[in-house]
Amino acid sequence: MTPVYCIGSGVVTPLGNTPQDVFRAVRQGRTALCLHTGYPEPYYASLLSRDCVGKGVLFDQIVRDAASAAVKEAGIDASSPRTGLVLSTIKGNVEVLGKADVSLAVQARRLANALGVTTQPTVVSNACISGLAALVQGMRMIQSGQYDHVIVAGAEVQSRFIVTGFQSLKALSLTACKPFDAARDGLNLGEAAAAMVLSSHADASQWELVSGCIRNDANHISGPSRTGEGSYNALRYVLQHARPEDVAFVNVHGTATRYNDEMEAIALYRAGLQNMPVNALKGVFGHTMGAAGILESIISILALETGVVLPTKGFETLGVSVPVNVSAKERPAQGNSFVKLLSGFGGVNGALLFRKGGAR
Amino acid sequence: MKQVTIPSGANLSQLYRELAGDYPKFFKMDIASKLGFLLTEMLVAGAPDRFTPRQDRAVLVFSREGCVANDRHYADSMADFPSPALFVYTLPNIVTGEIAIRNKYAGESSAYVLEAFDKAQIQAIVRQAFLDRETRSAIVAWIDCPSDTEWTAEAWLIDNNDI
Amino acid sequence: MEQLINEIKLKVIDALNLEGMTPEDIEDNAPLFGDEGLGLDSIDVLELIVLLEKNYGIRLATPADGKAVFTSIATMASYVAANRTK
Repeated sequence: MTPVYCIGSGVVTPLGNTPQDVFRAVRQGRTALCLHTGYPEPYYASLLSRDCVGKGVLFDQIVRDAASAAVKEAGIDASSPRTGLVLSTIKGNVEVLGKADVSLAVQARRLANALGVTTQPTVVSNACISGLAALVQGMRMIQSGQYDHVIVAGAEVQSRFIVTGFQSLKALSLTACKPFDAARDGLNLGEAAAAMVLSSHADASQWELVSGCIRNDANHISGPSRTGEGSYNALRYVLQHARPEDVAFVNVHGTATRYNDEMEAIALYRAGLQNMPVNALKGVFGHTMGAAGILESIISILALETGVVLPTKGFETLGVSVPVNVSAKERPAQGNSFVKLLSGFGGVNGALLFRKGGAR
Repeated sequence: MKQVTIPSGANLSQLYRELAGDYPKFFKMDIASKLGFLLTEMLVAGAPDRFTPRQDRAVLVFSREGCVANDRHYADSMADFPSPALFVYTLPNIVTGEIAIRNKYAGESSAYVLEAFDKAQIQAIVRQAFLDRETRSAIVAWIDCPSDTEWTAEAWLIDNNDI
Repeated sequence: MEQLINEIKLKVIDALNLEGMTPEDIEDNAPLFGDEGLGLDSIDVLELIVLLEKNYGIRLATPADGKAVFTSIATMASYVAANRTK
């Protein structure tokens, strides 16, 4: 099958607007998570500044900025009939529900027009794994020969709609979230946009998306599986494409809800990864939903480029029922590959194996 | 390839009693999930071992409107007491989860939003889904519900020989 | 109490979309969760928390706090009787 590489990336986050700046901020232990006035209950989240939005729509602006940066770095012709576009988001611009058309296709059309993309855009909306599922879709579009390049962009902005919903599910923590920690008590929401340009043409230094997989728990629409079924199955699938000693770490979902982290720990354990370094970035960015799979992959790529496993901000004492090797502090990374893991409502789970270019 | 349709405005409770009748969770579902559930019942009714867990069947649901009908219900509840039972259906992929749970499909499940029903675009994505080496068949559906009373709902059971 | 039990049953049937059920179908002491009784799930618990707040002005912080309250319709009714603010 045609190998697929990441040849450009872009991000918009409260910690910075280039992958390098954000990566540096993460290494310095920074976060934008803080308490916000709510609807009416307060909530703890990582939000973007509204100062520079003007009359535009925040969602459109951040996803366009992230995607434009990725296209620029990749140096591709966005308007080529051989360039595809995949958008990842869960709720898009739901704030205008009742006042305007909230179909996610509207956001995809605006992004295509802003970038000059001339092919038909596709939106992947697969709950919290949307970003990862969109990358898998982009890979397949190249592997099948449909496109030479695919721009995969993901974004989420927070609103009364999403915040009150997660509050009604009693899923939010009122303090900074603590992935995998014994004292974890819920997730924090986050805002961000992130984009990658995938390509069949690359030079030896670029990162390869080796294998991606999506599996359902077939168990419950909002409760994670007690056996980690889908997450385990997705991990098992992608790990067939790597030698165990080559995998430096697994960057997990790690939302810091009791059930998600327990489920992931069981999936990792079942996959024989109890000694594998594991980290989570939700303590830095919060849960950025449609952006998470792409943003966390971009930061993980830079970590392994630099030769480190990033710390799991908020984690101190392991609080899951099986052993897992969660990185509390930064440590040296050994290997040329990593796995990005995500899970979400609808029982959906995803895993994606990345490998440093030239390491095939 | 098998194809089924549910005409817009059909009585779904009655259809449920005719096709299934043993799954009271049906009545908790949003309109898109109800349609997905019933379309799948129509496609796989009477299939041998239909409730044996399997990982080789994908569930791929396409629409333009996602779950907007339910989003409006949740937004109505938001002003007063936000409803968790409505909020969980404000994700376009919950319909794929409901189909997976009912039928014990532990394979791939994905929801896609397109600008319009575009046969070529859907065919390309479905063909690409079969690049997963464990996927041998797929429930593919176009379920588009601007409201609780009007929709387009079609589904296909596709196996790798059709691709 | 009997009146309150009946009222709660009607509200539960409505809030949880228990299609085709009537108050007579639900036994006062039957478990609400698990395979016996009504077989409710984690989202139903959250919806029952909303039901208590909306109708009786009772706020439960977490589903864990509601575990004893939501054992059966009878336990819900005695909790409501003792704690209602409206």
